[in-house]
Amino acid sequence: MTTILNATAPACFEIKSANLPLVALLLKSRDLDRLGQELAKRFGDVPDFFDNDPLVVDLSPLKAAGESDGSVAWTVTDFQALSALLRSYRLQPLVVRGGSQAQMAIAVQAGFVAVSDVLVHQPTPAQRASEANVVQANPASSALNPLPLGALVIDKPLRSGQQVYARGRDLVVMAMVNPGAEVIADGHIHVYAPLRGKAMAGARGNADARIFSLAMAPELISIAGVYRTSENPLPTAVQGKPAQVRLVVEPDGDKLVIDAIGV
Amino acid sequence: MTRIVVVTSGKGGVGKTTTSASFSAGLAMRGLKTAVIDFDIGLRNLDLIMGCERRVIYDLINVIQGDANLNQALIKDKQCDNLFVLAASQTRDKDALSQEGVEKVLNDLKGMGFDYIVCDSPAGIETGALMAMHFADEALIVTNPEVASVRDSDRILGMLSSKTQRAIEGKEPIVEHLLITRYNPSRVAEGQMLSLEDIQDILRIKLIGVIPESESVLTASNQGTPAIHLKGSDVAEAYTDVIDRFLGAEKPLRFIEASKAGFFKRLFGGK
Repeated sequence: MTTILNATAPACFEIKSANLPLVALLLKSRDLDRLGQELAKRFGDVPDFFDNDPLVVDLSPLKAAGESDGSVAWTVTDFQALSALLRSYRLQPLVVRGGSQAQMAIAVQAGFVAVSDVLVHQPTPAQRASEANVVQANPASSALNPLPLGALVIDKPLRSGQQVYARGRDLVVMAMVNPGAEVIADGHIHVYAPLRGKAMAGARGNADARIFSLAMAPELISIAGVYRTSENPLPTAVQGKPAQVRLVVEPDGDKLVIDAIGV
Repeated sequence: MTRIVVVTSGKGGVGKTTTSASFSAGLAMRGLKTAVIDFDIGLRNLDLIMGCERRVIYDLINVIQGDANLNQALIKDKQCDNLFVLAASQTRDKDALSQEGVEKVLNDLKGMGFDYIVCDSPAGIETGALMAMHFADEALIVTNPEVASVRDSDRILGMLSSKTQRAIEGKEPIVEHLLITRYNPSRVAEGQMLSLEDIQDILRIKLIGVIPESESVLTASNQGTPAIHLKGSDVAEAYTDVIDRFLGAEKPLRFIEASKAGFFKRLFGGK
């Protein structure tokens, strides 16, 4: 419901709240030569990968790495060189965050805006589960969507042969997922109906992803690549019942744990 | 306003052609002008089941390719005045079936004042099946009470809601009717067949009828008579109920209960 109030406002301008999608650069080393090389390796072939995207430079990894204690002091020139390097890749470095007080002050002198409350998508620690393949091949993609995406919601039944992939987000299915259908998400999967097909949550390695269903009867469940097929039947306490699946990482191997949920 | 009905299933041998023949004959018996088209190019069967195989001169592909006109190719049914058969080609392959060609044939039939056009789909999910369903307004999904058939019907339902003209143009979706054929209540009771509830739990579309398993279907096929004409048989009654429900009547399901085993059978355990 929208309520519109008549307020007195200046005629020639209005102040409104706005959001800007930002690309974040988590700076893990202050070795600019190396940064230049790695950027060239990654984006050298695709010079127009970025399209003058506004960028936030996140210094927190460096601060955490203990480089902010003044032993290697940042200079205005360092920040200007960083800025020039990033601009050559059609990025617009505007904002800096997460550095020590000294680092932030110098960055401001070099023309950055210092901001503390920028929400940066952090890859979860559990991403190591499939680090070897997908995640490492595309490290930039999580930083390309700095604003959280809402879940992908599917209202229609998914029948044999149909597939849905919620890239970089959760998936909510409001109708049944039948045998032979596949639901895949980089985040959680919720099925508010019987889940009888294949469900793969945390497809790009998020081991914290879970699968929820009001009637858990899948052909296959997988979280971050750890899977179980219906050849190995679910316990009767959860088969066909409201249940959730999560991945428990243990020293002797990763396990899928299925719990009934009260509805 | 002509309605196009596709009879489809995905899986072969479940009773599509038997259903197409009885369903189109049943509509025609109600005075509705009906055409039934065999889309199974290269494996034509409908003309045999309709008993008109000796009168096939021109077929669907001839019409599409302009070798014959519809009036020459439509075969008038020997039992119903309002029923016309358009046979499939036995000699061509399915690549001869073009979307533009099918659309033109259907539009020409609409122009001839047909009430219903029944499209008998081939098995599978290739060109013939896609063409048969593409322009449909309603669909009869023919399913047997077994897992593979249910799975294939599910696949077809997915295609009906994504690959057809109505789906692509975002129009009102195709009206889907589930028709369960070769249903044997006593084998269901013994757990050898899926029950109605099992099938509906997976497919979740409106059930239009249950056709019992019956030897009279084979007899009818071999005689070249649609099973709906076998007066007094369970199958004919069941197909008649389907027509009633299709045309809007409410009718209770029949032939879905196993006949009670007799006292001696219970005592000595059948089989």
